[in-house]
Amino acid sequence: MTDIRGCNLPEDLYYLIEKHVWAKPMADGIVRVGMTAVAAKLSGSNLAAVTVKAKAIGQEVAQGKSVATVESSKFVGPVPAPITGVLVRGNDALASDPNLVTRDPYGEGWIAEIEPSNWDGDKGKLATGADGLAAYQKKLEADNISCA
Amino acid sequence: MDKILIIMTSGPDTPRRCATPFFFASLAAAMDYEVTMFFTIDGTLLLKKGMAETVYPKAGGKPVGDFLKDAQDAGVEFLACTASTELHDLKPEDLIDGVKMVGGAKMWQLAEERKTLTF
Repeated sequence: MTDIRGCNLPEDLYYLIEKHVWAKPMADGIVRVGMTAVAAKLSGSNLAAVTVKAKAIGQEVAQGKSVATVESSKFVGPVPAPITGVLVRGNDALASDPNLVTRDPYGEGWIAEIEPSNWDGDKGKLATGADGLAAYQKKLEADNISCA
Repeated sequence: MDKILIIMTSGPDTPRRCATPFFFASLAAAMDYEVTMFFTIDGTLLLKKGMAETVYPKAGGKPVGDFLKDAQDAGVEFLACTASTELHDLKPEDLIDGVKMVGGAKMWQLAEERKTLTF
Protein backbone atom coordinates (compact mmCIF):
# COMPACT_ATOMS: atom_id res chain seq x y z
CA MET A 1 0.00 0.00 0.00
CA THR A 2 0.98 3.59 -0.46
CA ASP A 3 0.30 6.08 2.30
CA ILE A 4 -0.50 9.61 1.17
CA ARG A 5 -1.42 12.08 3.91
CA GLY A 6 -2.53 9.12 6.00
CA CYS A 7 -4.73 7.74 3.19
CA ASN A 8 -4.12 4.23 1.86
CA LEU A 9 -3.99 4.58 -1.95
CA PRO A 10 -2.67 1.52 -3.85
CA GLU A 11 -0.57 2.31 -6.90
CA ASP A 12 -2.14 -0.34 -9.15
CA LEU A 13 -5.68 1.11 -9.13
CA TYR A 14 -7.15 3.64 -11.56
CA TYR A 15 -8.54 6.74 -9.84
CA LEU A 16 -11.10 9.35 -10.82
CA ILE A 17 -9.48 11.80 -8.45
CA GLU A 18 -12.15 14.52 -8.44
CA LYS A 19 -14.78 12.00 -7.31
CA HIS A 20 -12.58 9.90 -4.98
CA VAL A 21 -13.48 6.61 -6.67
CA TRP A 22 -11.31 3.80 -8.03
CA ALA A 23 -11.51 1.24 -10.82
CA LYS A 24 -9.71 -2.10 -11.08
CA PRO A 25 -9.81 -4.36 -14.17
CA MET A 26 -10.55 -7.97 -13.21
CA ALA A 27 -9.51 -11.11 -15.09
CA ASP A 28 -12.83 -11.53 -16.92
CA GLY A 29 -12.91 -8.08 -18.54
CA ILE A 30 -15.14 -6.73 -15.80
CA VAL A 31 -14.03 -3.62 -13.91
CA ARG A 32 -14.59 -3.47 -10.18
CA VAL A 33 -15.23 -0.01 -8.70
CA GLY A 34 -15.36 1.50 -5.23
CA MET A 35 -14.71 4.48 -3.01
CA THR A 36 -11.18 5.46 -1.99
CA ALA A 37 -10.02 5.72 1.61
CA VAL A 38 -10.31 9.48 1.07
CA ALA A 39 -14.02 9.21 0.24
CA ALA A 40 -14.53 7.00 3.29
CA LYS A 41 -12.87 9.64 5.45
CA LEU A 42 -14.93 12.46 3.91
CA SER A 43 -18.17 10.51 4.46
CA GLY A 44 -17.60 10.39 8.19
CA SER A 45 -16.11 6.89 8.51
CA ASN A 46 -19.25 5.43 10.13
CA LEU A 47 -21.66 4.73 7.32
CA ALA A 48 -25.36 4.10 7.83
CA ALA A 49 -25.93 2.68 4.35
CA VAL A 50 -24.33 2.08 0.98
CA THR A 51 -27.01 1.34 -1.60
CA VAL A 52 -26.26 0.30 -5.16
CA LYS A 53 -28.73 1.65 -7.73
CA ALA A 54 -30.67 -1.55 -8.31
CA LYS A 55 -32.64 0.05 -11.14
CA ALA A 56 -29.44 0.71 -13.06
CA ILE A 57 -28.27 -2.93 -13.11
CA GLY A 58 -28.14 -4.02 -16.74
CA GLN A 59 -28.08 -0.39 -17.87
CA GLU A 60 -25.19 1.72 -19.08
CA VAL A 61 -23.97 4.27 -16.56
CA ALA A 62 -21.85 7.16 -17.81
CA GLN A 63 -18.54 8.08 -16.21
CA GLY A 64 -19.24 10.46 -13.31
CA LYS A 65 -22.87 9.37 -12.93
CA SER A 66 -24.09 7.71 -9.76
CA VAL A 67 -23.88 3.91 -9.30
CA ALA A 68 -24.69 4.00 -5.58
CA THR A 69 -25.39 6.30 -2.67
CA VAL A 70 -23.66 6.69 0.67
CA GLU A 71 -25.38 7.79 3.86
CA SER A 72 -23.94 8.72 7.22
CA SER A 73 -24.91 11.17 9.93
CA LYS A 74 -22.32 13.53 8.43
CA PHE A 75 -22.80 13.04 4.72
CA VAL A 76 -25.18 11.95 2.01
CA GLY A 77 -24.11 11.71 -1.60
CA PRO A 78 -23.51 9.68 -4.74
CA VAL A 79 -20.78 7.19 -5.61
CA PRO A 80 -19.95 8.24 -9.18
CA ALA A 81 -18.86 5.68 -11.75
CA PRO A 82 -15.14 6.06 -12.61
CA ILE A 83 -15.80 4.70 -16.13
CA THR A 84 -18.68 4.32 -18.56
CA GLY A 85 -20.20 0.87 -18.82
CA VAL A 86 -23.03 -1.49 -18.02
CA LEU A 87 -23.61 -1.94 -14.30
CA VAL A 88 -23.36 -5.72 -13.83
CA ARG A 89 -23.82 -6.13 -10.10
CA GLY A 90 -23.48 -4.47 -6.74
CA ASN A 91 -21.68 -5.86 -3.70
CA ASP A 92 -24.49 -7.57 -1.78
CA ALA A 93 -22.39 -7.70 1.40
CA LEU A 94 -22.76 -3.95 1.83
CA ALA A 95 -26.45 -4.25 2.67
CA SER A 96 -25.69 -5.85 6.03
CA ASP A 97 -22.33 -4.18 6.64
CA PRO A 98 -21.88 -0.82 4.85
CA ASN A 99 -18.69 -0.17 6.82
CA LEU A 100 -16.84 -2.78 4.75
CA VAL A 101 -16.32 0.28 2.55
CA THR A 102 -14.47 2.16 5.27
CA ARG A 103 -12.60 -0.83 6.73
CA ASP A 104 -11.48 -2.44 3.47
CA PRO A 105 -12.21 0.03 0.64
CA TYR A 106 -10.22 -1.86 -2.03
CA GLY A 107 -11.08 -5.41 -0.95
CA GLU A 108 -14.30 -6.62 0.67
CA GLY A 109 -15.70 -3.08 0.47
CA TRP A 110 -15.88 -2.88 -3.33
CA ILE A 111 -19.15 -1.31 -4.46
CA ALA A 112 -20.04 -2.45 -7.97
CA GLU A 113 -18.82 -4.25 -11.07
CA ILE A 114 -19.09 -2.67 -14.49
CA GLU A 115 -18.68 -4.11 -17.97
CA PRO A 116 -16.73 -1.28 -19.57
CA SER A 117 -17.98 0.26 -22.80
CA ASN A 118 -14.59 1.74 -23.65
CA TRP A 119 -11.98 0.82 -21.06
CA ASP A 120 -9.06 1.80 -23.28
CA GLY A 121 -10.55 5.25 -23.81
CA ASP A 122 -11.72 5.78 -20.25
CA LYS A 123 -8.57 4.65 -18.50
CA GLY A 124 -6.70 7.51 -20.15
CA LYS A 125 -8.82 9.89 -18.08
CA LEU A 126 -7.97 8.10 -14.82
CA ALA A 127 -4.90 8.51 -12.64
CA THR A 128 -2.73 5.48 -11.94
CA GLY A 129 0.79 4.45 -10.95
CA ALA A 130 3.32 6.75 -9.34
CA ASP A 131 2.31 9.71 -11.53
CA GLY A 132 -1.34 9.19 -10.70
CA LEU A 133 -0.68 9.12 -6.99
CA ALA A 134 1.41 12.29 -7.26
CA ALA A 135 -1.62 13.96 -8.86
CA TYR A 136 -3.88 12.59 -6.11
CA GLN A 137 -1.47 13.93 -3.48
CA LYS A 138 -1.67 17.38 -5.10
CA LYS A 139 -5.46 17.26 -4.91
CA LEU A 140 -5.38 16.27 -1.22
CA GLU A 141 -2.93 19.07 -0.46
CA ALA A 142 -5.00 21.64 -2.38
CA ASP A 143 -8.17 20.63 -0.51
CA ASN A 144 -6.33 20.18 2.80
CA ILE A 145 -7.59 16.61 3.22
CA SER A 146 -5.83 13.99 5.32
CA CYS A 147 -7.03 10.61 6.56
CA ALA A 148 -5.05 10.70 9.82
CA MET B 1 -35.28 11.00 -15.28
CA ASP B 2 -37.77 10.40 -12.49
CA LYS B 3 -38.95 13.43 -10.57
CA ILE B 4 -39.70 13.86 -6.87
CA LEU B 5 -41.67 16.55 -5.06
CA ILE B 6 -41.19 17.02 -1.31
CA ILE B 7 -43.76 19.25 0.34
CA MET B 8 -42.26 20.73 3.50
CA THR B 9 -44.75 21.96 6.09
CA SER B 10 -42.68 21.50 9.28
CA GLY B 11 -40.79 24.46 10.73
CA PRO B 12 -38.77 25.75 13.70
CA ASP B 13 -41.47 24.71 16.23
CA THR B 14 -40.74 21.04 15.45
CA PRO B 15 -36.95 20.79 14.99
CA ARG B 16 -36.90 17.00 14.91
CA ARG B 17 -39.11 17.03 11.82
CA CYS B 18 -36.86 19.45 9.94
CA ALA B 19 -33.61 17.69 9.00
CA THR B 20 -34.80 14.42 7.47
CA PRO B 21 -36.77 15.97 4.58
CA PHE B 22 -33.60 17.79 3.44
CA PHE B 23 -31.56 14.61 3.93
CA PHE B 24 -34.03 12.61 1.84
CA ALA B 25 -33.97 15.33 -0.81
CA SER B 26 -30.13 15.20 -1.00
CA LEU B 27 -30.28 11.42 -1.16
CA ALA B 28 -32.80 11.46 -4.00
CA ALA B 29 -30.60 13.93 -5.89
CA ALA B 30 -27.63 11.57 -5.36
CA MET B 31 -29.78 8.82 -6.92
CA ASP B 32 -30.20 11.06 -9.97
CA TYR B 33 -33.82 11.99 -9.31
CA GLU B 34 -34.78 15.55 -10.18
CA VAL B 35 -35.89 16.91 -6.80
CA THR B 36 -38.09 19.89 -5.95
CA MET B 37 -38.93 21.00 -2.39
CA PHE B 38 -42.09 23.06 -2.04
CA PHE B 39 -42.19 25.01 1.26
CA THR B 40 -45.54 25.92 2.76
CA ILE B 41 -47.24 26.46 6.15
CA ASP B 42 -44.34 26.59 8.72
CA GLY B 43 -41.79 25.10 6.32
CA THR B 44 -41.37 28.51 4.72
CA LEU B 45 -39.90 29.87 7.96
CA LEU B 46 -36.83 27.66 7.44
CA LEU B 47 -36.08 29.70 4.33
CA LYS B 48 -35.87 32.96 6.29
CA LYS B 49 -32.26 34.19 6.23
CA GLY B 50 -30.41 32.86 9.29
CA MET B 51 -33.35 30.85 10.65
CA ALA B 52 -32.30 27.30 9.71
CA GLU B 53 -28.92 27.82 11.41
CA THR B 54 -30.70 28.26 14.76
CA VAL B 55 -32.78 25.05 14.54
CA TYR B 56 -31.17 21.90 15.99
CA PRO B 57 -32.93 18.52 15.54
CA LYS B 58 -30.48 17.02 18.05
CA ALA B 59 -28.59 18.81 20.83
CA GLY B 60 -24.91 18.97 19.88
CA GLY B 61 -25.68 17.84 16.32
CA LYS B 62 -25.80 19.71 13.03
CA PRO B 63 -28.24 22.60 12.56
CA VAL B 64 -30.99 22.29 9.95
CA GLY B 65 -29.06 24.92 7.98
CA ASP B 66 -26.35 22.35 7.21
CA PHE B 67 -28.90 19.85 5.87
CA LEU B 68 -30.55 22.62 3.85
CA LYS B 69 -27.23 23.65 2.31
CA ASP B 70 -26.37 20.03 1.46
CA ALA B 71 -29.68 19.79 -0.42
CA GLN B 72 -29.04 23.02 -2.31
CA ASP B 73 -25.51 21.86 -3.18
CA ALA B 74 -26.95 18.55 -4.44
CA GLY B 75 -29.10 20.53 -6.89
CA VAL B 76 -32.47 20.37 -5.14
CA GLU B 77 -34.82 23.11 -6.34
CA PHE B 78 -36.47 25.23 -3.61
CA LEU B 79 -39.89 26.76 -4.17
CA ALA B 80 -41.74 28.87 -1.57
CA CYS B 81 -45.52 29.15 -1.48
CA THR B 82 -46.31 32.85 -1.79
CA ALA B 83 -49.36 32.64 0.48
CA SER B 84 -47.31 31.10 3.29
CA THR B 85 -44.74 33.89 3.11
CA GLU B 86 -47.62 36.31 3.66
CA LEU B 87 -48.80 34.21 6.63
CA HIS B 88 -45.41 34.77 8.25
CA ASP B 89 -44.98 38.38 7.05
CA LEU B 90 -41.94 37.41 5.00
CA LYS B 91 -40.91 39.46 1.99
CA PRO B 92 -39.01 37.86 -0.92
CA GLU B 93 -35.84 39.66 0.22
CA ASP B 94 -36.14 38.03 3.68
CA LEU B 95 -35.56 34.59 2.12
CA ILE B 96 -32.21 32.88 1.46
CA ASP B 97 -30.76 32.92 -2.05
CA GLY B 98 -31.90 30.35 -4.57
CA VAL B 99 -35.57 30.26 -3.57
CA LYS B 100 -38.28 30.88 -6.15
CA MET B 101 -41.70 32.18 -5.05
CA VAL B 102 -44.66 30.37 -6.63
CA GLY B 103 -48.43 30.14 -6.15
CA GLY B 104 -50.24 27.14 -4.71
CA ALA B 105 -51.42 26.06 -8.16
CA LYS B 106 -47.80 25.40 -9.10
CA MET B 107 -47.69 22.70 -6.39
CA TRP B 108 -50.58 20.83 -8.03
CA GLN B 109 -48.97 21.11 -11.44
CA LEU B 110 -45.72 19.70 -10.08
CA ALA B 111 -47.51 16.90 -8.21
CA GLU B 112 -49.19 15.75 -11.42
CA GLU B 113 -45.92 14.49 -12.85
CA ARG B 114 -43.92 13.73 -9.69
CA LYS B 115 -43.83 11.23 -6.88
CA THR B 116 -44.83 13.37 -3.91
CA LEU B 117 -44.00 13.18 -0.21
CA THR B 118 -45.21 15.54 2.51
CA PHE B 119 -43.39 16.27 5.76
